Amino acid sequence: MKHTLKFISSLSLLFSMFLGYAQDVPEISKNLKDTVATKKPKTETVKTAKPEIQEAQALKDSVVKTDRYGLRVGVDLYKLTRGLYDKDYKGVEFVGDWRLTKKYFLAAELGYEDKTTEDDRLTSSANGTYIKAGFDYNFYQNWLDMENLITIGMRGGFSSFAQELHSYKIYNPNPYWGELPPIATDNKYSGLTATWIEVALGLKAQVVKNVFVGFGVQLKLLTSNKEPNNFENLYIPGFNRTYDGSFGIGFNYTVSYFIPIYKKKTMASETVKKEEPKKKK
Amino acid sequence: MKKLISLLLLFTFGLSSCEKDDICDANTPTTPRLVMTFYDISSPTKTKNVTNLKVIGDGMEEGIVFNESLAEDDSLRYVTSGSTVSIPLKVNDTTATFKFIYSSLSTTAINTDVIKFNYNTQNVYVSRACGFKTIFQLKNILPFVHTDPDGDTFWMTEVDLENPNIESENETHIKVYF
Repeated sequence: MKHTLKFISSLSLLFSMFLGYAQDVPEISKNLKDTVATKKPKTETVKTAKPEIQEAQALKDSVVKTDRYGLRVGVDLYKLTRGLYDKDYKGVEFVGDWRLTKKYFLAAELGYEDKTTEDDRLTSSANGTYIKAGFDYNFYQNWLDMENLITIGMRGGFSSFAQELHSYKIYNPNPYWGELPPIATDNKYSGLTATWIEVALGLKAQVVKNVFVGFGVQLKLLTSNKEPNNFENLYIPGFNRTYDGSFGIGFNYTVSYFIPIYKKKTMASETVKKEEPKKKK
Repeated sequence: MKKLISLLLLFTFGLSSCEKDDICDANTPTTPRLVMTFYDISSPTKTKNVTNLKVIGDGMEEGIVFNESLAEDDSLRYVTSGSTVSIPLKVNDTTATFKFIYSSLSTTAINTDVIKFNYNTQNVYVSRACGFKTIFQLKNILPFVHTDPDGDTFWMTEVDLENPNIESENETHIKVYF
């Protein structure tokens, strides 16, 4: 699990870098255009500058964007498929977001997990449902009418779950009487709850019209944790494995469908910037 | 974008550093042993060192190891000449019997007393890495039975219960005067 997580996070790191460059390049070329447009008329002939302005005006006419607003619903494929190859895991997570403004989205996740964990000295399982709600901020500058997202967001999470201890070992540093085999039990600890906050980094790309593929990582911080008597919450559905501190990590790989509900026309930011050099002359 | 990348990097490094809770730390208090302290019968406030005391559990061939560093065939490995001994009780039983052999390396001054401890156990959760520990409580009625099977007088003149709750090794549970 540890290695899977590391692999996933480094993979997402790698991808986010590529996307970072894909985003940065047009900005640089745009700035270059601006400087060319402002400097050239002053030093050299006006003729060369004129087509530049006309180009900008032409651009302005064509780049009136319509932003689509609506509801996006999807499912976490990572959790679904993990149940196929990991006999100790069953889980499902539904994701949804609602576009509030140009850049802000209300987002929520709802899920169920059943996970058996085998540690060196303990075998336990946890199962329960969870809900997470919050917002995403899309800081990706789309070209024309593309609708991809790179988001950073916050969530509040709540989980209601039960744990079961299947077997445990007694730690005895002085095994004079011999090592003991694990002790089998079926202790159930129900009515457990936990709350946490998380910072979510996400990426969603539109692969087919209205169909988005996305992945995200979440860094979590436990804020409350109702622990069982004489045991500990080793796995919290939605929060995942607990560590000595109150930090946690999560990952999802989603496929979602966007249901457009209404449209808003907006001026593309490029046209607004292009107008500034015109006024100076 | 740069900020995001550095955040992600921080995130990954942070995670790999907080992963080390898989190994049970040796300093974690786990299953305790019963601590016996020896006192001088003629001046009961002073501790007194025993001479080559060997402690063997009932049915066991070897004594409790007191000198871990010595070789397994060295007889000194199993004897102590200090004023305190720590006895591991059985975690899966409610009685444990030990032979306390005084000056076990001598042939003439050797004297064996037997103590049987009666107790209740409780398994207490420690952590993911350590699992559970067992703590003991010596019973109210007959916490221990002191006998002398050889009939060559008790070398322990008096055995007192100091603390029936065996939860840590930082305190004395049984006081022995001789």
